[in-house]
Amino acid sequence: MSKENYDFPDKDGRFGEFGGKYVSETLISALDELECTYEEVKKDKSFLAEVKNDLETFVGRPSPLYYAQRWTENLGGAKIYLKREDLNHTGAHKINNTVGQVLLAKKMGKKRIIAETGAGQHGVATAAVAARHGLECIIFMGEEDIERQSPNVYRMKLLGATVCTVNSGTKTLKDAMNEAMRDWVTNVDDTHYIIGSVAGPHPYPQIVRDFNSIVGIELKDQSRDLFGRYPDKIIACVGGGSNAMGIFYPFLKDNSVDLIGVEAGGSGVDSGMHAAPLSDGSIGVLHGMKTYLMQDQEGQILSTHSVSAGLDYPGVGPEHSYLRDSGRVVYEAATDEEALDSFHDLTKTEGIMPALETAHALAYVKKIAPDLDKEEILVVNLSGRGDKDMANVAKVEGLTL
Amino acid sequence: MSNIEKVFKNLKKENKKALITYSVAGDPDLKSSEKIIRNFILEGVDIIEVGVPFSDPMAEGPSIQLGHERALKNKISLLDIMQMCLNIKNDHPNTPLVLMGYMNNFLSLKENLFDELKKNKIDGLIIVDLPYVESNEFLKKLNEKDIDLIRLISPTTTKERIDKILASSSGYLYYISLKGVTGSELKISDELENRVLEIKKQTKLPVVVGFGIKDAKTAKKMSLCSDGVVVGSKLVDEIGSFNPNKENILNQNLTSIISELKEGIS
Repeated sequence: MSKENYDFPDKDGRFGEFGGKYVSETLISALDELECTYEEVKKDKSFLAEVKNDLETFVGRPSPLYYAQRWTENLGGAKIYLKREDLNHTGAHKINNTVGQVLLAKKMGKKRIIAETGAGQHGVATAAVAARHGLECIIFMGEEDIERQSPNVYRMKLLGATVCTVNSGTKTLKDAMNEAMRDWVTNVDDTHYIIGSVAGPHPYPQIVRDFNSIVGIELKDQSRDLFGRYPDKIIACVGGGSNAMGIFYPFLKDNSVDLIGVEAGGSGVDSGMHAAPLSDGSIGVLHGMKTYLMQDQEGQILSTHSVSAGLDYPGVGPEHSYLRDSGRVVYEAATDEEALDSFHDLTKTEGIMPALETAHALAYVKKIAPDLDKEEILVVNLSGRGDKDMANVAKVEGLTL
Repeated sequence: MSNIEKVFKNLKKENKKALITYSVAGDPDLKSSEKIIRNFILEGVDIIEVGVPFSDPMAEGPSIQLGHERALKNKISLLDIMQMCLNIKNDHPNTPLVLMGYMNNFLSLKENLFDELKKNKIDGLIIVDLPYVESNEFLKKLNEKDIDLIRLISPTTTKERIDKILASSSGYLYYISLKGVTGSELKISDELENRVLEIKKQTKLPVVVGFGIKDAKTAKKMSLCSDGVVVGSKLVDEIGSFNPNKENILNQNLTSIISELKEGIS
């Protein structure tokens, strides 16, 4: 592949061999409708203007590019900048996608919105846009995640959403997604399913990427203004991979920029107790897509482990699988312990409390920054704020609040 | 002529409709599920759909989800399941056995899949999450081994798509009666019956109806407009009440469900 010609997904919704539409027959017509509508609105100036206006006035974009000076000095190497997605309304990058998808849903005349959520950030971002547009909203969330993310559960309820507890399988994000699919197949006529990551069947990986790529587009402008050039390295955490895809995508053709995705290494990639399919998985089909998965030899999906609910997913967006194999993006992993460590570092040295998901990207920066030249510029996608994780961090560290 | 074709041809001669059962291999354990299937055949079930349990059965309602979970507790493999099918085939060579499951489990055997299917005398496959656009290569390899890829058509399938699906189908067509998961409540309507009749006009293949068929009355209604009915959740629910000390009672209960359904559609 010549990187200059990067043009994925292709007409079949594939990124090389990855992606596709592996769903039951009943959902095909809904996916086709979504694809057609999306192709239309992509060129519709009034639709794009509406998205832009919502991003500015409802979300609060553009998000700033912040120089983490004290942390940079402490580490003693490359300059570290943070793309402040934590400052968005509802506290994470997830709202970039839901703002766009809810307008798509309205365009298709759908009255009911459903979504899955792990950490609750996507659930909150979905509930917020549904409230704003007066649409019914149902959020599916695994029982285990409901326990670890209770503030977000209450937030969704305050926003008027119904939160459905999912008790099947491992009771986490993947099972919430199964249950959302089951609801969708049942209520397909009046319901739009807002998938929260660059995962699922085509056209979701493309739509979610495109709506999130505002992050990378802004970063291009900001780095031209601030440095007169692009950063040397961009680092983002990867669960399903939406914040990473959003900041990477506009830079894919700029080969001077190193792109690094950081997966959840859990107790360590060698321990098997992790959520890092790109580091230690194999190719399979789940949730409508062909991609790298954590699975056993029989093709059964394995339960994953990560301290962060938002990364606790056995698959990854198909475009990441493609970018891994093509070598354009390098994927690393950070353990629970390393992530917790960086969570504290950033909070104490910069006064910014990152989400535990984001802390995985920071952990990788902490590892490499000291050995890099002081003129090098690193940008981390600070994908979300960490208030939601306080109770969980306290619990892991044996404290009671 | 394939086993599946023969079954429908013979039924047609007698002016009868097919009764197709679905149960999950390994539920409650592999040996018992083999006995259950053998019992189905003895009771006159025409085609057996053997569910391949998956960790993430997205299209299933609560009953069959539980069946998959029970089966997976026993750590059975796809090869074990095919071996069970071969055991049954050795005694009942004419009854078609169709594996029904999800793509990821079939992919796990890689290129060996097709030889193993043939070796173990599997008649057909139903892959819930493999719509026709994704299936070209797979279909070619199955056709080389004379194994049918049975396609699903749903209430939301457009006319244009139906034509394309029909063009690459063999064995029989599985019409999904409702928008929803397996075991949902089925409301029979003229619209549903007309749609099945419409599809039958477009193809020479037999058309069977499944999802939500749980009693003799519904089975009868659906068999009138089609070539047969599939019953799954009702049976899997019953299997869920399995008690190792009362295995005979389970099979007696299943037998009475089957004979009621048979009566309904004959």
